Amino acid sequence: MSCELNEKDRAGVINPIFTCQPAGAQYASIGIEDCIGIVHGGQGCVMFVRLLFAQHFKDNFLVASSSLHEDAAVFGAAHRVEEAVDVLLMRYPDVKVIPIISTCSTEIIGEDVDGVIRKLNEGLLKEKYADREVHLISIKTPSFKGSMVTGYDVAVKDFVTAFAEKDDSNGKINLITGWVNPGDVTALKHLLSEMNVDATVLFEIESFDSPLMPKGDAVSEGSTTIEDLKGTANAMGTIALNRYEGGEAALYLEKKFGVPAVIGPTPIGIRNTDAFLENIRKMSGKPIPYSLVRERGVAIDALTDLVHMFFADKKVAIYGNPDLVIGLAEFCLDLEMKPVLLLLGDENPNYLKDPRIKELQEKVEYDMQIIRNADLWDLESRVKNKEVELDLIMGHSKGRFISIDYDIPMLRVGFPVYDRAGYYRHPVVGYAGAIWLAEEMANVLFTDMEYKKNKEWILNVW
Amino acid sequence: MPYHTFKCSECIPERKKHAVVKGEDEDLTSCLPLGYLKTIPGTISERGCAFCGAKHVIGTPMKDVIHLCHGPVGCTYDTWQTKRYISDNDNFQFKYTFASDMKEKHIVFGAENLLKQNIIEAFKAFPEIKRMTIYQTCASALIGDDIDAVAKEVMDTMPDVDIFVCNSPGFAGPSQSGGHHLINIAWINQKVGTFEPKITSDYVINYVGEYNIQGDQEVMVDYFKRMGIQVLSTFTGNGSYDELRGMHLAQLNVLECARSAEYICNELRKRYGTPRLDIDGFGFKPLSESLLKVGLFFGLEKEAQAIIDEETARWKPELDWYARRLKGVKVCLWPGGSKLWHWAHVIHEEMGVDVVSLYTKFGHQGDMEKGIARCEAGALAIDDPNELEGIEAMKKLKPDVIFTGVRPGEVAKKLRVQYINAHAYHNGPYKGFEGWVRFARDIYNAVYSPIHQLSGLDISKNEIDTDKGFMTRQMISDVKIDKEAAIVSGERQYTGDYDCVSKLRDKKYPKIEKQSLSIE
Repeated sequence: MSCELNEKDRAGVINPIFTCQPAGAQYASIGIEDCIGIVHGGQGCVMFVRLLFAQHFKDNFLVASSSLHEDAAVFGAAHRVEEAVDVLLMRYPDVKVIPIISTCSTEIIGEDVDGVIRKLNEGLLKEKYADREVHLISIKTPSFKGSMVTGYDVAVKDFVTAFAEKDDSNGKINLITGWVNPGDVTALKHLLSEMNVDATVLFEIESFDSPLMPKGDAVSEGSTTIEDLKGTANAMGTIALNRYEGGEAALYLEKKFGVPAVIGPTPIGIRNTDAFLENIRKMSGKPIPYSLVRERGVAIDALTDLVHMFFADKKVAIYGNPDLVIGLAEFCLDLEMKPVLLLLGDENPNYLKDPRIKELQEKVEYDMQIIRNADLWDLESRVKNKEVELDLIMGHSKGRFISIDYDIPMLRVGFPVYDRAGYYRHPVVGYAGAIWLAEEMANVLFTDMEYKKNKEWILNVW
Repeated sequence: MPYHTFKCSECIPERKKHAVVKGEDEDLTSCLPLGYLKTIPGTISERGCAFCGAKHVIGTPMKDVIHLCHGPVGCTYDTWQTKRYISDNDNFQFKYTFASDMKEKHIVFGAENLLKQNIIEAFKAFPEIKRMTIYQTCASALIGDDIDAVAKEVMDTMPDVDIFVCNSPGFAGPSQSGGHHLINIAWINQKVGTFEPKITSDYVINYVGEYNIQGDQEVMVDYFKRMGIQVLSTFTGNGSYDELRGMHLAQLNVLECARSAEYICNELRKRYGTPRLDIDGFGFKPLSESLLKVGLFFGLEKEAQAIIDEETARWKPELDWYARRLKGVKVCLWPGGSKLWHWAHVIHEEMGVDVVSLYTKFGHQGDMEKGIARCEAGALAIDDPNELEGIEAMKKLKPDVIFTGVRPGEVAKKLRVQYINAHAYHNGPYKGFEGWVRFARDIYNAVYSPIHQLSGLDISKNEIDTDKGFMTRQMISDVKIDKEAAIVSGERQYTGDYDCVSKLRDKKYPKIEKQSLSIE
């Protein structure tokens, strides 16, 4: 019985789990109010990422492009950035924050974005926009390094670095959520509010779930402000829920401003949510209120109805963002399930020293595989060749055909989810997330039992 | 026909000549919007890149092919599972996507070995697939990898495989259109004439510029087969790699989307003397004329007419049911390329809707010329629209519905404008007689949605009906029609199946005797 941590044994990718770094930076950028990023590269690097956001959220988000064409690829494209900044500022009077997000092409041709920003700060912004508050931030996300996950991490750190400013203590906690959904932010803020803790949430993306209003004037955008970002230097501490999505920013705040950082755990499941609350209690000195004891009890009650009867020993494969995958795997173990295959879609060397992965390697009593730099073919080929038998898959929509073609029930989770309605609205974190995840897992299994007529009668009485 | 200046674009004078309003009795010589020029950075244009034009629009609908992108993983991931180009081989082409996954070390030291390894791995993973297309990306173009040489090397050692190389990096041109051009030319240069598919009829066509969105190609091929015509290849929807290598053997190129695929037709005419016939599968009249034109070419007018009569009798009463209720509905016709002119006149003539605006993201002036010539006076025509211009246009024109893509559709939603997916369709196919009824049905369902009606109510200000538990679409739409005339007419709502395509795959056609065989 062992838990192996391996790397994909092929050079190429068949059905990727992640897209590239600039997408992660774009996802971070849309969380900030009055912020429109400029992706410095070809137009597809923006157009398709915006489509991805629209597929997931069924809403529109703003990101601009420097629209690199061939002349720029040959002769340099600094002027495209200058023009893009000017055009954006002229036409969007509220815009204050403009991250300039690099791509593979502009990194290869060696674009000096920092130089362009200096020039713009000294020239255009002083001359033409003297009365405007404008922040240009260089975010370097070459597509040939890391993945969308590292791109998000880099961008969060760059935003914090650009704005964090020492002042009097604000008595708040910085909560860096990582790559989550609006439903997660709602659940996390609920926990904080029950704890009576004031927090700066990076990023405030509850507003991504935006209404359709009678006047037709609603838009989807994040609501983290420049003030929020500035204040991160003055918090009593930072909790970064996801090691790989915001962890670097927490470490930066600790190192630069002495704001103590707690990284993880991803509060998926009861145990990790407990730990999250413990971290808040320690950091804020505030007690965990009875209301949360009750809320936790409601979750435990819901899980108790499911675990022994339906979940025990069910074999699960999980893929997606690393903190999500690890958090889900830990939760599955508490639910008596057997996560047998975990797929992490990039080759981040830090996975090798991740204490949670080490813990899995040391403690799991059955055969488990964790694959780094994995693709979805790592999952499908194992299913196809019967190297692994699965009762459930958990992952994002790009793997939907594995579930469909091999008749394996699948719970959509992570990003992107575009083949199920409204999933961004539901949390996977906190006690609310534990309930939602477990009950959705159960319902997915129940539907599968009925569809396959596999002991479907068991649900007659339950 | 004055140029139209958007308020939001007054500050960018380069946009001045990109929009016009079509006046009464004006012809196109008075003015035509500029088109296919470099995008102005920072405008938030809707354009994609030349890589996606090549791979995503034209390359990947080819069904029996491993589609491998040579570059970092994003180009592959981002263009995967975002369209609805189905196929009759269980959709291999959109279920599986391949990336060479170029990393930093490859940028420095070159990625040709990596690519070679990738090719071999991919064929090993799918031993039943023997064909591959490799797409260059910005990264592999900039580091100068010689993809052609790698492909040749592999083909030399693996004689049963065939590889096509498409060098169309994302930055090659102002929009995806540059990629359409490059892949057209690359295909004829590299592959046409290298394989001889079996000729089974005296009447042989290539069906070109057709991408089988939700089954369009299969619907049209059904008509051709019923006429006794062999569709030797389709470029590229539901198309087979080897059949497309035999394009030189057809007698006629039947061209649907001239924007994306006229290049290969023109080359086939030049190199092999194959004539090009432009057709249009959208709308009863254009489709009937198209079938007749193809019939006329081969002397199969009778066969064409029989199909037209049968299909018209079956579906016209259903189209008319919707047309009666869509009269005067205001439409923004905002697709990508050729639908701009394929739909501009016929949705007005056959469904009664009024086109108040049209735009093209990646089209050229010629597309605009055709679109403006066909649409109604007063329409606002926009080239390479950007986010703010689209919003300004919708606020000014107050359309009932726009035909556009997924993301711009979400912009419209927020403005309380309904949207129909013009690229991937809502519940298509939209080609064919039945398809055209499905399109009308989708427009009707959007425009007369009871929820849409509710979305305008401000419960804090407006009086709220307390005696209405529900509304139906017809309760909303039929207020303005002559109900008696509607009953007498025999019109009816759509009666087809949810899936009208899959059943065509098992359909048997009368065997055609190939006359010329005996002569050979």
